Amino acid sequence: MRIKLTIVLSLILSSSLYASVVDELLTEYRATGVETFSAKAGKALWSQEFINAKTGKIRQCTTCHTADLRNEGKHIRTGKIIKPLAPITNPERLTNLKKTRKWFKRNCKWTLGRECNAQEKGDLLLFMQNFNGE
Amino acid sequence: MCTTKHSVRIWDLPTRVFHWLLVASFILSWLSQGDDRYLDIHVFAGYLFLALLIFRLIWGFVGSNYAKFCNFTCLQIGGYLKTLFTSQRQHFLGHNPAGSWAVFIILGLGLIVALTGLLTLGGEERHGPLAGMISFELGDSLHWWHDSIAWFMLGIIGIHILGVLGESWLHNENLIKSMFTGLKSTTTQSIDIPKHSLTTIFLISSLIVGMASYFNGYLLEANYRPFIGPELPTNPAWQAACEECHLAYHPSLLPARSWQRTFAEQAEHFEEDLYLEPDDIAELQTFAINNAAENTLTEVAWKNNRSIPPEQSPLRITEVDYWVTKHQDIASAIWQLPEVNFKGNCKACHLDAEQGTFEDSAMYLPE
Repeated sequence: MRIKLTIVLSLILSSSLYASVVDELLTEYRATGVETFSAKAGKALWSQEFINAKTGKIRQCTTCHTADLRNEGKHIRTGKIIKPLAPITNPERLTNLKKTRKWFKRNCKWTLGRECNAQEKGDLLLFMQNFNGE
Repeated sequence: MCTTKHSVRIWDLPTRVFHWLLVASFILSWLSQGDDRYLDIHVFAGYLFLALLIFRLIWGFVGSNYAKFCNFTCLQIGGYLKTLFTSQRQHFLGHNPAGSWAVFIILGLGLIVALTGLLTLGGEERHGPLAGMISFELGDSLHWWHDSIAWFMLGIIGIHILGVLGESWLHNENLIKSMFTGLKSTTTQSIDIPKHSLTTIFLISSLIVGMASYFNGYLLEANYRPFIGPELPTNPAWQAACEECHLAYHPSLLPARSWQRTFAEQAEHFEEDLYLEPDDIAELQTFAINNAAENTLTEVAWKNNRSIPPEQSPLRITEVDYWVTKHQDIASAIWQLPEVNFKGNCKACHLDAEQGTFEDSAMYLPE
């Protein structure tokens, strides 16, 4: 009985934690003046092609993460397997504030050649959070 | 009219078993040298070789008549060679003077080759009974002597074989066959030589026990690694930071200046901005510098460091001269295999890439 209760409690707790990282970030982004975020815009950004100034090659989020966020991705350069981004298959995603911030920074810089703005990050967050294959 | 020739035993069984095992271990060490993947076989051949030499030294005092050093005919070499191509040439039932010299020279050179081999193993590879007792530099120069004396020994063996063939032809007897059967055919009476079966059983069983204890890992363990290197220092932050994208290359693979440059240029780390915090950089950099190639924690560390000109601080391990030399014979088809993918994927071939030891025998080429 006690074990069951603990499991239920921890599930509630972890799900609330997971919601809170996204919420916290969205609140932060709203504070910069952005009013609404859209998963649809996030989806469009996800597959948008950016031409890298140095290499002349096309870079997209999908280059490493693939179009289906439920699947594993692969580091384009080193071949390292990247765990799925969609919380639906990888519940750990979007639960760590520091990690989420860091990877937005690093990967926007690589893909877009610049850091993403609050609007873009918010859109991407919603897109990832709700991703279920569409 | 006809003098009756009869067969007598000249070479006892341990002497013959010794001779052919020595030949086998010499051939095995020759075949297993040059390719680091077979270093453990080479080292086994070397141990066998050394053990046989020691046995023969003892047998030279306690063995049967013709095996004993005191019955060798080294001092008669002058007369022997002078009359060799005349009808007065001398015939010896045991070792003739040239053969006696051959035994001593081969024993002596063999001991030097075995000893320099052990020193190379201890200095360069940090393995064997002398592991780490001498420096990499000394191990490296002894390696040169090990090679050179082995070549010299091969020359002596060549002369020995020519001598055996020449003597067989001159005296119309088959000396090679005698070294198998132990028998020579003679008209004179010879001392009776015992077989020494017990000593032979001891020799053969030592060989079997030695092989079983040396090679049992291949039978008992999957992914067996014959040499396991020293345990190198690790750092959880280093591990975590590097493994986000690639293998956590051990800092011993590059000199301190390369790591300093890596952190100075962290915003453009192979086209990625690492966004490392100053605190993180401080910890990672300290770990890297404390264990950088200059500290010669491993053979690779020492050799990588030696091959990088002081004015260069490469960021890529795969640009280091030593790396390039070591990998130049690998076919491009192997690099293109999906499981290899790129040159920095060390663990595709090196079983101990994660530990950073890069032992010679811990590598294999994927099919």
